[in-house]
Amino acid sequence: MTAQLELDHVSKHFGDRVIAEDVSLAVDPGEFFVILGPSGEGKSTFLRMIAGIETVDSGEIRIAGTDVTELPPNKRRIAMVFQNYALYPNMSVYKNIAFPLKMQFFSRDEIEPKVRDAARTLGITEILDRRPNQISGGQQQRVALARAIVRSPSLFLLDEPLSNLDARVRFSARAELKKIQRDLGQTFIYVTHDQKEAESLSDRTGVLHLGRFEQIGPFHDIYETPTSHWVGDFVGDFPMNFLPEPSGPNEIGFRTEWIDIGSGPYSAVVEVAERQGDLVSLLCRAPGGQRVFLTTLQMPTIGETIHFGLRQSLRFDAKGQRIEGGTTGALPAH
Amino acid sequence: MTKRRKITASRVGLYLAVIVTSVFVAFPIYIIFLLALVPTKYTIYSARPPLIPPTISFVELQAAISSPGFAGAVSLSLEVAFMVGGLALAIGIPTAYGLSRLGSRLAYGLTTVLFVVNMMPSITIAIPLTVPFIKYGLYGSPISIALAQELLALPITTFLLVGAFQSLPREIEQQARVDGANRATAIYRILVPLIAPAIVASFLLAWMLSWDESTFALILGNLNPPTLPVLIFLSVTGRGNPTLAVAFSLIATIPVVILTVLLQKYLRGEDLASGIRG
Ligand SMILES: Nc1ncnc2c1ncn2[C@@H]1O[C@H](COP(=O)(O)OP(=O)(O)OP(=O)(O)O)[C@@H](O)[C@H]1O
Ligand SMILES: [Mg+2]
Repeated sequence: MTAQLELDHVSKHFGDRVIAEDVSLAVDPGEFFVILGPSGEGKSTFLRMIAGIETVDSGEIRIAGTDVTELPPNKRRIAMVFQNYALYPNMSVYKNIAFPLKMQFFSRDEIEPKVRDAARTLGITEILDRRPNQISGGQQQRVALARAIVRSPSLFLLDEPLSNLDARVRFSARAELKKIQRDLGQTFIYVTHDQKEAESLSDRTGVLHLGRFEQIGPFHDIYETPTSHWVGDFVGDFPMNFLPEPSGPNEIGFRTEWIDIGSGPYSAVVEVAERQGDLVSLLCRAPGGQRVFLTTLQMPTIGETIHFGLRQSLRFDAKGQRIEGGTTGALPAH
Repeated sequence: MTKRRKITASRVGLYLAVIVTSVFVAFPIYIIFLLALVPTKYTIYSARPPLIPPTISFVELQAAISSPGFAGAVSLSLEVAFMVGGLALAIGIPTAYGLSRLGSRLAYGLTTVLFVVNMMPSITIAIPLTVPFIKYGLYGSPISIALAQELLALPITTFLLVGAFQSLPREIEQQARVDGANRATAIYRILVPLIAPAIVASFLLAWMLSWDESTFALILGNLNPPTLPVLIFLSVTGRGNPTLAVAFSLIATIPVVILTVLLQKYLRGEDLASGIRG
């Protein structure tokens, strides 16, 4: 099976700003691949290189086996949803959706049913006559998506399409997007800084850091076994907790859920406590000064010392790389 | 209390300034009307011409319109003005697009360089231009006038259009490219409609600039017929009939007034700003 998208030793710099450093990646047909990274890491630029809006310094990009590195965006057979939707402000919603079809010289009679189909899929049939400035942000996002699915591209590129929606709409929009992708069976490359989106949408996630994919895999694996200190720190509602090993340069890392509160070899002092729903989130300080995030059911007093043990932990070397086989059960007390 | 009085005082100052400026600008136009519409015995043949006209007559205007050179001059002026307006867009749109994609610093630097021609007196450009125009057989033709006037019009239209292109979010064009449009299609189907107000404004400015211009028209035209401004110029000098000149001027003002009103409507740019999230 040829990969739907292949990056082959791709590099890209803006001056001394690294966007991609010898990146290789293969995304399978029908896969939902999420590029996850903090703000300003170069995620959008990555997508724009795949789209052909931005050039690469070196390396090759292949879509469905074809080398597209030198092709302009209009020859790459891709659909893209920009972060700000980039709807054509002077065209009605209908004309916005029809535009990619017009560019392929479909006749008016062929265009109409396709546009109505896409509009029905996204539930925007009622607003086809409106202008982009006469519809809500959520509707704009749907129009942008309809414009992307109206033709059959070989690749969908989406740049934080949900980030402009408010939190309530975002949840349902996420579910809907996933369903659309499943129904289409198409390959989606989806950029976000929001790990919730990576978690719920992706088949695989690539965590982007300093121009490299620091880790690629199913989100759950990334969460459970980050390859580096940085990934552990970046991924998760709470950053992974890190404490030095009793001797040597290595450290142990553990998720908040892996902590058993009550007794154990570790302790930390409560600095901040915040109720979130049923749970209380605590920011604590270990004796060595490290942050430890804990959750409890009861509100503790600030300054109280909490003792805890670990059900599970990972080991990281002095460079922050995870030590293979370092996944342990309960650690020996010290 | 004192604060309020201060505001009132500055208000009064502001209104005063507006009134003074308006009078300063409007007075010459008023004089043109006076000269064109009031019998000459009350104006140029009177020692102390009254500011309020005792009667109004259309004799001078009729004489101007039916005078032998007039129709030819108007039609030549129109021809040249539309050429200048059209060329300003034909050259200005692609130039401005290119400049707008260079990054704003470089774009503004280059646009400023374009203005250098505008800062030189027309006469210093017109005379050397005659040589190549004669060489290529253009001298005396409407095109030669239009091409020379384009030197004045193009920097302004380019400047306006660069600003308009830059005001559009880059994503709009990129989206069009991704949606399958090549560069030219993206420019003319997507970007140009979005900057329509600036394009109309550019056309009108170039048109008016040509309509008013006399130096290039005098030196590079064959004067048979002359353009309207040149006709006005010739009738105040050489063969001399100043009232005729004033009547011509009044007629020449009409399209300018109409276009200025149109221009204001377009320069308000409601259409431009609507619906672009950027
Ligand atoms: N054309 C360019 N020239 C120079 N630097 C650029 C250019 N485009 C982007 N950059 C820089 O590259 C970096 C990455 O930008 P990019 O927009 O790709 O990041 P991002 O991860 O998408 O950020 P965000 O989460 O804010 O959308 C930024 O520091 C940006 O300033
Ligand atoms: Mg971005």
